[in-house]
Amino acid sequence: MWRLNKVRYKAGRQGDSLEELRLKRREHERTLRQARRDRQLVSKRLLLNEDEEQQDITMDTTPGEQDVVSLVHKLQHSGPEKEANLKALSKALRDPSAQLTFVKLENSVHLLVGLLTSSNAQCRLQAVQCLHELSHSPHKNVAPACLPATSYLLTYLSGPSTKFSELCLYTLGNICPDSDAVKEKLLAQGIIPALATCMENQRHNLAVVEAVGFTLSQLLQTKDAAVKIIPMVLASTLPSNLLSVLTPDPKFGLAPAIECAWCLHYLTSSSKDNRELLCRGALVQCSSLLVSLGRAVAEGNKDEGLELLVCPVLRCVGNLLFSCPVEGLSTQVGDVHLVVALCGLVQAYLHTQPALAREAAWVLNNLTAHSSQFCSALLTLNLVPGLIQLLRFSQGINTMILRILANIAHKKQEFCIQLTQLGLLSVLCATLKMVDQEMVTLSLDVLFMLVVSSPQVAAEFVNQGGLSLLEAIQYNGEGDRRRRATYLLEQHLLSYRL
Amino acid sequence: MLQPDMFQLMTAGDVSVRGCHEESPTGASEKQQKRRQSESEEGNPFSFSPQRLHLHRDHELFEDGDILRHMYLQDLYILEAEDKPTLSVSEFACHISGCSSVFSTLEEYEHHYNSLHRHVCCSCRRSLPNARLLDIHIQEWHDSLFTILAQRQDMYQCLVEGCGQKFRTTQHRKDHLIRIHKYPPDFRFDKTKKDKRTRETKTQQQKDAAMEVVDDVCESEGVCDVMCNVLSDQPEHEESMETHASEEEAARLAKSTEDLPAAAQGSDSTSSAPAKAQYSYRVPPAVCFGHGSVRGFRGRRGRRK
Repeated sequence: MWRLNKVRYKAGRQGDSLEELRLKRREHERTLRQARRDRQLVSKRLLLNEDEEQQDITMDTTPGEQDVVSLVHKLQHSGPEKEANLKALSKALRDPSAQLTFVKLENSVHLLVGLLTSSNAQCRLQAVQCLHELSHSPHKNVAPACLPATSYLLTYLSGPSTKFSELCLYTLGNICPDSDAVKEKLLAQGIIPALATCMENQRHNLAVVEAVGFTLSQLLQTKDAAVKIIPMVLASTLPSNLLSVLTPDPKFGLAPAIECAWCLHYLTSSSKDNRELLCRGALVQCSSLLVSLGRAVAEGNKDEGLELLVCPVLRCVGNLLFSCPVEGLSTQVGDVHLVVALCGLVQAYLHTQPALAREAAWVLNNLTAHSSQFCSALLTLNLVPGLIQLLRFSQGINTMILRILANIAHKKQEFCIQLTQLGLLSVLCATLKMVDQEMVTLSLDVLFMLVVSSPQVAAEFVNQGGLSLLEAIQYNGEGDRRRRATYLLEQHLLSYRL
Repeated sequence: MLQPDMFQLMTAGDVSVRGCHEESPTGASEKQQKRRQSESEEGNPFSFSPQRLHLHRDHELFEDGDILRHMYLQDLYILEAEDKPTLSVSEFACHISGCSSVFSTLEEYEHHYNSLHRHVCCSCRRSLPNARLLDIHIQEWHDSLFTILAQRQDMYQCLVEGCGQKFRTTQHRKDHLIRIHKYPPDFRFDKTKKDKRTRETKTQQQKDAAMEVVDDVCESEGVCDVMCNVLSDQPEHEESMETHASEEEAARLAKSTEDLPAAAQGSDSTSSAPAKAQYSYRVPPAVCFGHGSVRGFRGRRGRRK
């Protein structure tokens, strides 16, 4: 039902073997990871023309810098073939070195700006296409050169031509993270209100909505966004519009929803106080979408790219739950379908996208932390055994799941007894031996809650050889763990010791 | 793909949940309150309380998802990734102080632990294959009352369970084990302190040197906690049962028994030698003392699988 209509893959140069492609991809991924660790993760998007979409993006041949120079020359001396020259120029500007050459030419950008306001619609389109190519440049100096054009681009945002609006938007989105100066200028020129108006007017036009989403997400990722950008965004109509687009359109596909969801993620994750968004119904929307997505995934929906949407929506729900007053929880997230959806997502992504499974577990923790209702649901709907099975896996999954189980145990004695009946004690005897010290401490915490809940549980634990386990920790563990083990042995298990 | 019942749950209409709808973290039933009370008792180290976690956009937990997002933006996203990310299973670590072994399965861990850490004498940190032999070891090595009694009567028990016979000296016991219970004569019997000098000249037994180790350790002032390091890697200080240089030896030795020499101990133990000293931590503090477990032990350390 939901498709990602256009997923382009840079296939690389022709003649690359599968192995080479794989290597390149891994290399790219490494670069991205490093960039993220340096807080420099920025991407640009290139809007392709329809005729280009089936082909490789990277071109083998370099059109040559001479072409650029001569084309500019021709354009500067007007003439009847302006359109054709512009088109040729835009193709030439696909090449990074041509881009460099272009911006070094005197008055080249001004030429384009002039053509942006031409009476000839085709010229305007081609001019913005050229600017778009420039905006996608990997060279740091090129995109800022487009600054003179930005005020025009902003005014054209809500124009009648979809293609034109898209190009304007993606161009703006590409250049705004490049430097602080560019960003400041754009803010001063009113990019936020412009985006808000555009979104408002073009809600029905999903291609434009996707572009607005992308551009906004670029702004929201910049360094001081929390201070400089987010308050303005929250004060505008953007949040409501973003929320309204969240549910993917069956025909158009996932792409607009993906962009808007990422915007919402940047909004909710930049600050701990999300009351503003909660008031706009963000949690209601996001959690109901998550339930639908969970259902789709559970049905074995192989929709391509679904996780690109699941990821940001999960994060929104997780962070919104943090700010949500506990009393209002069930009105915001509805009934227990969300619990089921989350458990389903954890299981579904466990082997294919473990990080996503971990994020789903995190959301489940936030959901169950202060709610007996949802804890009870996990037990009643028999979802706990599945969770217990997950305690074997590392990379943060088991600690998060154990937190969830601890949330349950913390609520009431009856839950502790039920957890014991589901075999949690024997699993704890294993988790107490794990490498991860946080697992050991958490296991002791859960064990404590179970043991004090009833004498039967304590006896059961002793039967399973728990005493020697605790003694080992008591005499060999450090700090927190030793104290916990000692306390448990001396205060609650004394009668069971020989 | 989910189990059918989960799918049903998801498509079902309203799922009503019986049970408490109380959501406030401060409200509590009586029983909850009782537990809370006990939790706030003095000295209670348990501090877990449910917590909602807010994750900032730069949080490391978000790394993978962010990478996916940007791969998509840069047209590098593959719908069906060839390199599937691998889910890793947690490893198990031996928590005994000084032992840094790590295992990928629980079974391996248990085997390691049972072989090396279960029946450990607190005084000398020797690991014995089972509880009975540990008892005998403690009795013969660290019990001065035993030493006194042994001068007058047959005290050295046969090591084979169920035999029940007792002997005047370890040599007698050894002979008995070889003759009656068919132990191999070259089995690694330990030497007594008294015999040490006479046997030193015999080169076939590399394990003689172990005696020094015994002395060292028995008089050492080690703390109970350091166990494993000291015992695990001792190829050159073999005593028949007590140190395990490798796990296959441990397996082999588990079946057989040892000839335990008596060691005159002096002041360290009283007649109330620990009855159940399976685990070092069960031995009363009076018998264990000091630091120095490392003295006299020279062997490989470090990770083992």
